[in-house]
Amino acid sequence: MSDASVLVVDDEPQIQRVLRPSLTASGYEVREAATGREALSALSDHSPDLIILDLGLPDMDGKEVLRRLRILTRTPVIVLSARDRESEKITALDLGADDYVEKPFAMGELLARMRTALRHSQNASLEAECVGADGLVVNIPKRIVTRNGAPAKLTPKEFDLLAFLARHADRPLTHREILKAVWGPAHQNDSQTLRVFIGQLRAKIEDNAAASTIIVTEPGVGYRFMTSES
Amino acid sequence: MARDDGDFDRRPDPDALLALSDKESRGKLRVFLGAAPGVGKTYAMLARAQTAKAEGVDIVIGLAETHGRVETLALLAGLETLARRKCDYRGRIIEEFDIDAALARKPQLILVDELAHTNAPDSRHPKRWQDVEELLDAGIDVWTTLNVQHLESLADVVSRVTGVAVRETVPDRVLQNANDVILVDITPEELLQRLKEGKVYVPETARRATQNFFTPRNLTALRELALRRTAERVDDQMVDFLRQGAIEGPWATAERLLVCVGRDANSEAVVRAGARLATALNATWIALYVERAGQEEQSAEVVRHVDQSLRLAERLGAEVARVSGDDLVTETLRFARRENITQIVLGRSRARPFSRLLRHSLTEEILRRSTDIAVHVVVQEDGPPQHKRALRLPTLSQTWLGFGGAALSVTMTVLVGYGLERWLGLVNPSVIFLLPVVLCAARLGMWSAIIAAVLSFFACDFFFFDPRYELTISQPQEFLSLLVALAVAVITGMLASKMRNYAQNMRQRSQAVQSLFEFSRKLSTITTLDDILWASALQIQKAGEASCVMMLIPEEGGLKVSAAWPPVDQMDAGELAAARWALEKSEPAGWRTDTLPNVRFQFRPLATARGVVAVCGIEPKTPEEPLSAAAESTISSLIEQTAIAIDRSMLVGESVKAAALEENEKLRTILLSALSHDLRTPLTSITGAVTSLRELGEKLSLDDRKDLLLSIEEEAGRLSRFIANMLDMSRIESGALSPRSDLVDVADVIRNVLERSKKTFLGKDTSISIAPDLPPIRGDAALLGQVLFNLIDNAHKYGGPTGAIVHARREGGDVVITVTDEGPGVKPADLERIFEKFYRSGRIDGRKAGTGLGLSICRGLVRAMGGTVIAQSPAIRRRGTRIIMRFPAISESKQGVAA
Repeated sequence: MSDASVLVVDDEPQIQRVLRPSLTASGYEVREAATGREALSALSDHSPDLIILDLGLPDMDGKEVLRRLRILTRTPVIVLSARDRESEKITALDLGADDYVEKPFAMGELLARMRTALRHSQNASLEAECVGADGLVVNIPKRIVTRNGAPAKLTPKEFDLLAFLARHADRPLTHREILKAVWGPAHQNDSQTLRVFIGQLRAKIEDNAAASTIIVTEPGVGYRFMTSES
Repeated sequence: MARDDGDFDRRPDPDALLALSDKESRGKLRVFLGAAPGVGKTYAMLARAQTAKAEGVDIVIGLAETHGRVETLALLAGLETLARRKCDYRGRIIEEFDIDAALARKPQLILVDELAHTNAPDSRHPKRWQDVEELLDAGIDVWTTLNVQHLESLADVVSRVTGVAVRETVPDRVLQNANDVILVDITPEELLQRLKEGKVYVPETARRATQNFFTPRNLTALRELALRRTAERVDDQMVDFLRQGAIEGPWATAERLLVCVGRDANSEAVVRAGARLATALNATWIALYVERAGQEEQSAEVVRHVDQSLRLAERLGAEVARVSGDDLVTETLRFARRENITQIVLGRSRARPFSRLLRHSLTEEILRRSTDIAVHVVVQEDGPPQHKRALRLPTLSQTWLGFGGAALSVTMTVLVGYGLERWLGLVNPSVIFLLPVVLCAARLGMWSAIIAAVLSFFACDFFFFDPRYELTISQPQEFLSLLVALAVAVITGMLASKMRNYAQNMRQRSQAVQSLFEFSRKLSTITTLDDILWASALQIQKAGEASCVMMLIPEEGGLKVSAAWPPVDQMDAGELAAARWALEKSEPAGWRTDTLPNVRFQFRPLATARGVVAVCGIEPKTPEEPLSAAAESTISSLIEQTAIAIDRSMLVGESVKAAALEENEKLRTILLSALSHDLRTPLTSITGAVTSLRELGEKLSLDDRKDLLLSIEEEAGRLSRFIANMLDMSRIESGALSPRSDLVDVADVIRNVLERSKKTFLGKDTSISIAPDLPPIRGDAALLGQVLFNLIDNAHKYGGPTGAIVHARREGGDVVITVTDEGPGVKPADLERIFEKFYRSGRIDGRKAGTGLGLSICRGLVRAMGGTVIAQSPAIRRRGTRIIMRFPAISESKQGVAA
């Protein structure tokens, strides 16, 4: 994607020092902000295509920045977080972040997630009918799932679950989000049920249920449906 | 699954189940019961023992009395026998059962003959059945033999039937709690036959008595008792079984009995009758002794008697209570109502004919006033004559005082009478003689009042009735009025003296309560264990009428005397053993208890929810007599108070420890989150840079690539400094840091640091200014360099663009090194706090890189080198911070001496 503009919000100059050249070399126009306030005011005069937001900002809590961002704009946000702070990631996703990247990260991973996020935001208007991933084709309106050509037999609930994941392909979805959408708000804490269903689903659609490549587990956070394009 | 109410009742009784489970871990007791000596109990026991041995049971003979009988001796063959303990008693060697050897050997099953035997005085327990209880507690099964006459509750019946006094007794509960009772039964004719054949052992000394004992009539009666008791037991067991299995059956009644123990001789019979009634009714019972307040019993004989009755009651399974009060009936009934008593048992008191005029006997009074409680009056045959209640004669000095007082007051009254007669024309002055009587009664007691009454009688007659100055009376009415006055005087005197006693008693009681209250208040303010123990030892000694009180606390498997008043230097073996018993079994031991009663002290455990926390030893003032009821209750309350206070002080200690732990936890959490942030950031830069270079490679410009590589280098350096900081900190904390003690050239170190910082902090300016001829200091050059480097790093981080300035000069006997920056500075309030670990102005997340350890490490290192460090802000031009380090310089004369 050439000339897409990115706003990088991070207070550590070392990180900026690494991100700037890499992002520029990947074809992005990079703008920097070192505090939450700077970030929010930057939005007022220029709307970036993507925001990379570090959660550890000196003046405001990163989640607070995220919340305020979301009021102003629907721009995709990728959040930089620490490895063992699952609750932080879940909250960020719940508050409207599109994806997260754990520090320390590989540049390739960050770039890939950025691409996915941009693609999804551009295609947001189109309601994806068919979602494909690794030999699997999910036709949502017709409620048909084929695997390497052969139809897979799913129970209605399993299909609903798969459809939800597929509709938000390549994005991490929290347990609570999934449970609320597929089972209803009353069951949003029933992660055991979800685990069982995911297991059953994987057994039916994955080549190797032990090393699932389509439905990927985001440890402590939720699940992600990976399409072949990412 | 529906459940109807019928199911509810059919659940097994939890108490029965609990009792059953308790029994499981204890040893099992099997009693071979016989009607009389010679029926063959020991033989039967040994025969079974042989069978058990054949079956492989680990069986040991603790003690078996064969009395030389050949058949019985034969049964000993092949069975391991414990050696007996030899005791020296009054010059004779007695052989007793060695309980310690038995406990050490710990067999599966042990045989101990003659349960009712009394042990030699130096034994641990006065009675063999107590030894057996200890064996059972230790998990050893015991077989024993017992004659039915030795059962506590039957002792008096047997005495009555056979005419032979029973001396040694075993409490009924021992038999009740036995797992097995085997009745060894033969007909009286057979037994008599055996006696004739000489097969029954009879000691020479008792030959006469046994002739009376071994009559057909007696033996039949005893046999009946034995059979009946065994049958009752089977019945009891059935009921227990019913309860465990929840089969519908009769439940225990909710009766509660009260047995009144009095001063009279047949109180023991009353107690036994009460025990039998309680057993029959399956009721709990309390034995109560009411002591007349203010008139503690003087006669030692009576005291002992009452004591005996109460202990008997305790052995038979009663709860014992002592209460003191003024009116026996009122106190008894009050107690009964408080304890929800349903039936009262008392003896028929032989009221003296005279007092029946004045008031009803105790029995009648209770019968009259206990409207809601059933009363059983135990009738006994003519026993030994009752102890007459001795009239309390006053002491000699009391008498003289009373007499003097009476005489004086009567004289005064005579004079007053004269006066009244002269000036007011009083005709019959006999009435005013009531005054001295009442006064004497109120002040000096009953006897003084009676003396005063008699004196007044004569004085009135002598001085006021015609013919005057003669002890004759002309007018019969006057005589009558005088007699009436005398009677009134005596009665009034007695009433007044009763009032006086009552008031005295009330005063005493209120004093006791007051001192208890004060003590508990004092205890509530003390928290150290030692203080509590001392305070309580003092108080118990004072208020409990003890000659010595000591408090012991458990320590490393033993006991330590923590407080004693008056101070005690040593404890003898017996006292230690008793104290340890109290600690381990949570039971009193020592003087006047069932364990080691010959010890001087009585040891009581202080028990709380967490077990026995201390032991209190009390030496009574008069060991021959038991403690008075008042002293007993005082000591109990004080001990309870002390136990609570000890518990509280332990809790306080624990909560302090818990708070410290929590504080540590908090610090650890802060450390962890600080570490994770500060280590992660450089790693992120490094990983990001490396992966960028690899993935993007050619897409990056050359300059960008160079910059990325540089940033990797720098961040790696920062990472390694963080780690070095943390290691230093932990070394300083653990005291492992021992700086070298060389001569350090400060100027050299500074210049060295400058070089390094130029390389590390590119783009940042570091300027130095060193005074010439700086004396050396004693320390570690490397550490000093590190400190300076950290400070410069700080200055660059927090300082403005002007960079850091290092300055070194000499000031008096010290070398002063300062590092200054022109940054935003530090608030005056924080000037000390910045040296704390992890101190940051601002939130944990929103801060510059650095674990905040820098300055605290700096201080730690400087101190380790014998210097001081402080911060100053503002430093230059109203901005910035200056860190000032001061080290003692080495004077020229000392420079020659190397480290």
